Amino acid sequence: MSREIPKSIKLLSTLPLNIVLNAVLIIPFAIMIYLAFLKWSPAMGIDWWMAAFIGIANFIRALGDVRFINALTNTAIYTVAVVSIEFFLGLLLAYLMLEEFIGRKAVLSLIIYPLMLPPVIVASVFYLMFQPYGPVNNVFLRAILGEDALRITWFLNPRLAFTALIIADIWQWTPFIFLILYSALSAVPKRLIEAAQVLGASSFTIFWKIRLPLIKPLIIVAVVLRALEAFKMFDYAYLMTGGGPGVSTETVSLYIYRVSVLYTDISYAAAMSLIVLVMLAIIIRLFIWYFFERVK
Amino acid sequence: MVCCSEKNDKDDPTTESQSSKQASIDKTRRAFLIALGTAAVGVGVGYALGYLTKPAEVIRETVERTVTITRTITVTPTPVPTPTPTPIPGLSGAASRAIAGVRDLLSRGVIAPGTTIRILHVAGSRANLEKAIELWSKYVPEVKIELITLGTEPDVYTKAMSEAVTKTGAFDAITIFSTWLGDIVEAGLARTLDDFYTKYDPEYIGPCAPIEPLGSYVTMYKGRRYSLTLDSDVFTLSYRKDLLTSETYRKEFEAQYRKPLKVPDTWEELIDMAKFFTELRLTAPSGGRVWGAYFYLEPAFAAYITWFNIFVEAGGIPFDLETMDPKVDSPEGRYAFDIILRLKPYMPPEAISAAWADLYDKFVKGETVFTAAWPSLTKEAMRPTSAVRGNVGTALMPGVEVEIGGRKIINKAAPNPVNWVGIISNYSANPEVAYLFLQFATAPDIGLDMVLTGVILDLFRACWFTDPAYRAKSAEGYGEEFLDEYMESIKISYPDILIRGGTEYLSKLTTEVNNVAAGLKDPEKALSDIAAEWDSITKKYGRDAQLEAWRALAQLFPDNVKNVWRAKGYMK
Amino acid sequence: MEFRIIARALRYVVIGVFALWTLIPLAWIVSLAFKSYAEWRVSYFIPKNPTVDNFLLLFNPQELLGRYGVMGATAIIEPATKPLLNSLIITAASTVLAVFVGFFTAYGASRYRVPGPFTLFFTLLTRMLPPAIFITPIMVYYSNLRILDTHIGLIALYSAVTVTYAIWILKGFIDAIPIEWEEAAMLEGATPIKVLFKVVLPLVRPGLVVAGLFIFLLTWSELLFALVLTNINAVTLSVHISKYVGAVGQLFGPQAALALIGSIIPVVIGYTIQKHLVTGFTFGMVRG
Repeated sequence: MSREIPKSIKLLSTLPLNIVLNAVLIIPFAIMIYLAFLKWSPAMGIDWWMAAFIGIANFIRALGDVRFINALTNTAIYTVAVVSIEFFLGLLLAYLMLEEFIGRKAVLSLIIYPLMLPPVIVASVFYLMFQPYGPVNNVFLRAILGEDALRITWFLNPRLAFTALIIADIWQWTPFIFLILYSALSAVPKRLIEAAQVLGASSFTIFWKIRLPLIKPLIIVAVVLRALEAFKMFDYAYLMTGGGPGVSTETVSLYIYRVSVLYTDISYAAAMSLIVLVMLAIIIRLFIWYFFERVK
Repeated sequence: MVCCSEKNDKDDPTTESQSSKQASIDKTRRAFLIALGTAAVGVGVGYALGYLTKPAEVIRETVERTVTITRTITVTPTPVPTPTPTPIPGLSGAASRAIAGVRDLLSRGVIAPGTTIRILHVAGSRANLEKAIELWSKYVPEVKIELITLGTEPDVYTKAMSEAVTKTGAFDAITIFSTWLGDIVEAGLARTLDDFYTKYDPEYIGPCAPIEPLGSYVTMYKGRRYSLTLDSDVFTLSYRKDLLTSETYRKEFEAQYRKPLKVPDTWEELIDMAKFFTELRLTAPSGGRVWGAYFYLEPAFAAYITWFNIFVEAGGIPFDLETMDPKVDSPEGRYAFDIILRLKPYMPPEAISAAWADLYDKFVKGETVFTAAWPSLTKEAMRPTSAVRGNVGTALMPGVEVEIGGRKIINKAAPNPVNWVGIISNYSANPEVAYLFLQFATAPDIGLDMVLTGVILDLFRACWFTDPAYRAKSAEGYGEEFLDEYMESIKISYPDILIRGGTEYLSKLTTEVNNVAAGLKDPEKALSDIAAEWDSITKKYGRDAQLEAWRALAQLFPDNVKNVWRAKGYMK
Repeated sequence: MEFRIIARALRYVVIGVFALWTLIPLAWIVSLAFKSYAEWRVSYFIPKNPTVDNFLLLFNPQELLGRYGVMGATAIIEPATKPLLNSLIITAASTVLAVFVGFFTAYGASRYRVPGPFTLFFTLLTRMLPPAIFITPIMVYYSNLRILDTHIGLIALYSAVTVTYAIWILKGFIDAIPIEWEEAAMLEGATPIKVLFKVVLPLVRPGLVVAGLFIFLLTWSELLFALVLTNINAVTLSVHISKYVGAVGQLFGPQAALALIGSIIPVVIGYTIQKHLVTGFTFGMVRG
């Protein structure tokens, strides 16, 4: 676009953002980067700017920290699992909901309700539901497995505890992906569909060959946004499993939180954060390139 | 695209479309430089702000880096306090001096009526502190006490540490685990209380002083007072007396195991009994199954208590007294895991995951036979709503059979984990008033009311066990049997790892004990992991300083434990 | 034909199953909110003795806590009114701020590529960092500015970490507006600012609404930042919910009751803008 940039617009589009970002985030961000190279904890009794500079020792420690690697692996598995399941469920549901039927509005309203609830409470509720005395064992699994179901202790078994977290996440966030995909699918112009129908394409072909390619950018947006939030998952692990049993469901967020506030090893936490950040930045950078190239 | 010559790019907008790629690279670079610059300026501004707004009124206690013996049992006698001009009717001693002190501050205009003191504390102590506030407001309604309540213990630690960093003065006093005291003092948050102790005398000597040695080691750090104790937390073994004394079960047990059913003296004996009761498959009044045992294995903070207890009784020593090397990866450490793994099948499955209060819940509902916890367990079991009221027996913790000089003895020790204490913030605007409230709340007469009213704070003054009038009142809440056994338990009680980084050492231990109990890790591997992590924590805080502190702390372990250490050559 | 009928039946079954899957935990929350303290840890949905104590407790804890046994004696006592109000103020203010800042930036980015990709990238970075790591630096910084535990502090922080969403959502919308419309207005002599407010702003209204709702939801339920940056004055809803913990366990009933009350505002907003929701969540990105 070869227009000259009006001063007023330039001001308006950069100044407020820079005020908000600089005033709030840039300074802490810089402090964080600086901290990663120090050896500092509030319990050392000195102010952070007086702490000893130890170079990349924190980073080396992080790369050899089994618990950190474990947390990274857990988080990666978790993110991949919830995003892919939520994506397929969301897409399926969006496809099924496209056609008008009686009560569609009501079903739509119901389906997106979980988005309105604070994750804190969703975590509490799933925690209760998965207890041995809770409805999951006593009502649903009992109907399938009989009395054996009562002996399932979800939060004592690493696999099951992980499953419980994934189920809670799917419950709350499938509607998010659904909503984006459903909006996108509804926005596909009717004339294209009709044209295809005239040519004798089946509804499945129309979906696969016309609708999906058209909404591809939105699929990417939905998946990336969800993946970002899933990667940061804290609330469920903190409130439902506490990372347990052992550290089998500990996520990166939870581990960093613990290191920084429970063990007050803040400079080490900052170093781990930077490692996570760089990893994520590479992934996101790829996404942005894609995003930028598409829009002119 | 072959790009353009030098001169055309910047000032000629018409060619911009051609050179857009070059320009956008330039822009990116410029943006990057600007951001970098902004960040640098930001750091500068941050420094400047930090420097300028650092509260000048804060007098930082320069804590001596060279460590002398840190905690000693013998307390230097407090100098005679300034006599109270007018004793307050209805109050005695420390409480009376506290009220007189506040009134004096009010009348001299040092504090204005309507001053509010804010106390940060954990939800579990709400009823306790509210009782103290209620009594306080009878005497000094002009000074308000406000509670800031947090849900869980780690939340309090987090907030306290945040306050150490941010220095807002939002809290005048904070209730903390005694384990945290070292960290909190070093972080500059706790104000030294030596001057107030001298001025107002909180009765830390004499017949009513807090039970020694607990009263000293939970309030002192590096030889100075930093807190007032609110609590004492020695573990005792609690058991279902009705089941243990039942004639039928006695006969059955004897027939099966060829030994008598009695209060277990060792963990080995306890395992058999726990197995026996678990296999009976009894049902509690609540409808839940009755399990033989429930000892802490939970991951949030309490799992270390069980392992550490068995470890110490078996003669284990956490750190070498010469080198500060961790000595957990030892026969004693393996033995402690062995006991835990053998006992685990007879515990409710939730033991490895539920929060600490679950143990209380199950015992009070009658769903466990043997358990060990803080004194407040007994208090809860004595309440009218408890299903085991009147059927609770208390005994010393089970021990471990060890050999000293060819002679076999049973070595018993009791943990004293947590032990809530109150500190005064260095950043408080009214430290003196905040201190006076804590002195009032923990005074012999007021303190007993406070302890008996709520949940997590327990008996901490000696006269509450010995003085007939106080003892009668204590017995209402805890029962006579408990009071006797508790006094005995205190004699064999040992402190947590109350040196710097105490929380870190113990939380690593907790994580690994929970891992082993949950079957996720092999004991050998867990022990070597603990040793490695402990060593790196020691390095972080400096080996020499830690060793000095640990040597002083080791002296506070009970004599019978130290004797075993000597026999094993761990201690000279 | 038969195939059609089977397919349709299958469609309803799948939708029905999903609706049920959504409904069950919701029903559990509602049932918890009306259950008395003895019934929280049981497996049935219909409370035997339905009670509204849980709701009353939120606003009158002093009198009601007595009905919750030991749990009540060890729980917190502040009424939920202040946290609800705080959350409302903080969320509303930060949403409006983020949406408008995001709108201006998105317009510049879409039409003139100012700010450049780097700044946009930085905004995305702020979104992908686990919030846990920002805590300490922000605490230090805020305490120096003396805005810990204030509404302003939280509003600024929340708008800063959510403005990304506003930018990215709105950029898609603005990209979709034909540039000729703006040029036409300019030819008639309108200043760029006027074009921005009179031409572009009305056209992206669905986008503003969706970005607003999205940010509102994220901010409304945020826990971690609020947990460390508030003490007394600016305690938010999520923090308050997490405080219903006594020494002997969580007060699940009041938590559920507060969550229901807390979800009323987003639900009302969500449903009043439902028609924008479906068009808005395309982010203006689907074009024939």
